[in-house]
Amino acid sequence: MTQVISRPVATPAAPPLTPAHGRLRRLGPGRAIPGGRLAGPLLIVAAWSAASAAGVLDDRILPAPWTIWHTTTDLISSGRLQDNLLTSLQRAGLGFTFGLTAGLVLALISGLSRTGEALVDGPVQLKRSIPSLGLIPLMILWLGIGEGFKVVIIALGVAIPIYINTHVSLIGIDRRYVELAEVLRLSRTRFLRSVVFPAALPGFLTGLRLAVTGSWLSLVVIEQINATSGIGYMMYQAQNYGQSDIIIVGLIVYGVFGLASDALVRMIGKRVLSWQQTLGS
Amino acid sequence: MAADVGQLTTAVEVRDLVRRFGERTVLDHLDLTIPAGQFVALLGRSGSGKSTLLRALAGLDHRADGSGDLRVPHQVSVAFQDARLLPWLRVLDNVILGLDDERRGREALAEVGLAGRERAWPGQLSGGEAQRAALARSLVWEPQLLLADEPFGALDALTRIRMHDLLRELCARHRPAVLLVTHDVDEAVLLADRVLVLTDGRVGVDLAIELDAPRSHGDPRFITYRERLLRALGVHPDGGTRARP
Repeated sequence: MTQVISRPVATPAAPPLTPAHGRLRRLGPGRAIPGGRLAGPLLIVAAWSAASAAGVLDDRILPAPWTIWHTTTDLISSGRLQDNLLTSLQRAGLGFTFGLTAGLVLALISGLSRTGEALVDGPVQLKRSIPSLGLIPLMILWLGIGEGFKVVIIALGVAIPIYINTHVSLIGIDRRYVELAEVLRLSRTRFLRSVVFPAALPGFLTGLRLAVTGSWLSLVVIEQINATSGIGYMMYQAQNYGQSDIIIVGLIVYGVFGLASDALVRMIGKRVLSWQQTLGS
Repeated sequence: MAADVGQLTTAVEVRDLVRRFGERTVLDHLDLTIPAGQFVALLGRSGSGKSTLLRALAGLDHRADGSGDLRVPHQVSVAFQDARLLPWLRVLDNVILGLDDERRGREALAEVGLAGRERAWPGQLSGGEAQRAALARSLVWEPQLLLADEPFGALDALTRIRMHDLLRELCARHRPAVLLVTHDVDEAVLLADRVLVLTDGRVGVDLAIELDAPRSHGDPRFITYRERLLRALGVHPDGGTRARP
């Protein structure tokens, strides 16, 4: 007869279980606060207003926010702000258009043919090592101090980032996609349209964002050196008359347009690269 | 007029094919004939020249150093190890890239079980789905020869089994000749009419697989084929590697 005897087995003391939920310390920054990015700027404006109201801030150094507001409405009602803004926008727009076209055409020439690369890439890389703003004296000698030189300086500053980024992504195309196109016997035109250009688009858009920022930068510098109109000129004059409120208005205008143009380019990017959006989510 | 216009009898004809990379001869006077509609699996150790042969047949070795005579049908499709879908084209546009026949694209997608995913972006597909879309892209061309370079190599085991069934089904229906490069002996025996082993740049073993469908891993003849092929690859079936001669 077999007998089963259940003997108490000495079990090693098991470590007590701990609740799994929330057991680990969260090290990431956590979820973003909705509208949180506005908090910093609002805080600064609030401190600024408080300091002005308390009389701590000298009006000649930094006028109160409401002074700025009145100056802005005055400048608008006299038409001075619009006139100067229009001139500035025309310069920036014209220079941007020329620069974009030149950068893109050169990038295509050197990105799509080896001959083109041999001819174009060297000179552009050379030009890249000379800051566009450094060319101002030469351009004034060549083109005079009219609109021509301003547009050329802006265009040069725009063309370079467009060229660099577009060219890099054109020549950096994934070999696997080239093979695929060969296997599918795509025509050269079709290959460019369906494979090369879409592949280069993210690079081009990066260049575009840099170019937009760059065009505002060139504009600011040019208008303060040699101009008789434009936002920069308005600010330069204000400096001579000690009108710090007008300078602040000019800075705000630059900031608003810089921000708006960057947002516009990002929006364009989001739309044309909609296939990328699905990867992250 | 030739009687066999449009009705191929031979899908691949390779004579004296030599391919070199620098000093190393990868394919050494290789001969190979594949009849129309035959499913051939190509095994070989890594570096044995499997992919080199496939790329030569696909016409992808532009700058290769070598000689020989290669004949392939007019309509050749290639399936790569990665699905190689263009991420900026929707699935349907990927499938009909270069062909531009939406109706046939939809049919092909339905055939591989992706009906309804025409408008999806490749980034939204799973690995198996992407490889099925790639298969559909190969099929829309109605190829007489399908060259496949380890198309299931990157898939998980379960997806791979499903893909085997799908590929067998599609080949039975469309009857292209197939050259499937693989390192998986089981996959070769499971799918192919004929298994080749590349050794020293030539076809070392040429084995006809005479098993009825559906093939099963447990079939004693399956096991015999498997062991023969493993031995030809220098792997002892009981595990362990024999010293190379």
